[in-house]
Amino acid sequence: MKTFEEKWTAWLDGQLSGKELIEFEATLPDLAVADAEKRDAQKLGSFLKQQLGVQILSNAEFFSHQLHERIARDTQDRHRPTSTWWTIPRLVWSGATALALFVITTVVLMNQHQPGEQSEYLTQILNSRVDPAANPNATIYIFESKNDNKVTVLWTEGLQTLPADYAAK
Amino acid sequence: METETTPAQADVSELDLVRQCQAGQTDAFDQLVTRYRTRVFAMIYNMVHNEQDAWDLAQESFVKAWKSIGRFKGKSSFYTWIYRIVMNVTIDWLRKRQVKAGGAEFDDAIQLKEIDPASKTVPKADPLPHQRMEQNEIRARIDHAISQLSPEHRAVILMKEIEEMQYHEIAESLGCSIGTVMSRLFYARKKLQNSLRDVYENV
Repeated sequence: MKTFEEKWTAWLDGQLSGKELIEFEATLPDLAVADAEKRDAQKLGSFLKQQLGVQILSNAEFFSHQLHERIARDTQDRHRPTSTWWTIPRLVWSGATALALFVITTVVLMNQHQPGEQSEYLTQILNSRVDPAANPNATIYIFESKNDNKVTVLWTEGLQTLPADYAAK
Repeated sequence: METETTPAQADVSELDLVRQCQAGQTDAFDQLVTRYRTRVFAMIYNMVHNEQDAWDLAQESFVKAWKSIGRFKGKSSFYTWIYRIVMNVTIDWLRKRQVKAGGAEFDDAIQLKEIDPASKTVPKADPLPHQRMEQNEIRARIDHAISQLSPEHRAVILMKEIEEMQYHEIAESLGCSIGTVMSRLFYARKKLQNSLRDVYENV
């Protein structure tokens, strides 16, 4: 179903014919006024064609030349992605090499890091024996506290005296 | 639609040229550009009213056409296809400019300007200074009236009245229905009749 605007435009451009034309013209309240409007619109069309239809592209050849250059640049850019396929293996190789270097460096550094020798003090403690006669209820524990930055704790209970040679060094 | 062709070019069908373009031949595209550059430029110029902008937009349109020519299936004519690109580029540009300008343009409230009654009936063959001035004045009136239309209304009226395109060709170029084209044409004509009647009735 065409709207009035569509029918009017078609009528004005001579696109209505036969039954459709008769029906549309019958709906117009004043055919003479509509005809005047039609002539006015046609006049506008001719006027626009006359005034705007003469626009010239100055330097037309330069226009084409500039366009040709842009397209040539674009074509070069289009070929560039083909060469990037070669950089993908390159990227893979670079990544693998970097990973290998990291692993080698890490292994070397780990090997260089010697764990500290057991302190003389700890050796003394571990080698010590509690005299059951002097300290019948003595118990000694030694453990590492993981919560406090691996502090080694010497836990003693029931000691009457602490041997003089346990002095911390 | 008239095109800019040399006799040698006329022998080569448009579809052949398109196929050559699709095979990557820029020379074939040059020929298509030569055929349509003036009309494309004029169409854009009549929409944007600035030579440099029209030049840039025409260039951009042709570059886009080159980039997407592989997708041209030949279901419509080449010029309808390229006009669609031209319209997309130009309407998009006008919309962006409208946003930058704070939406001041395309106001439907058209202010009519009085023109000098002495400007009527200019003999066209005599480009005397005062006549040229009058001509410029008329052109300025037309440009102003067109600039008050929305980009879509501009496109429709220019394609119909200047390019003499059929409704279905305009519809294809703008990606809308024929009914929409006719409706837009109705309103665009009404607006231009209101704003330019005093000019075209005196010329």
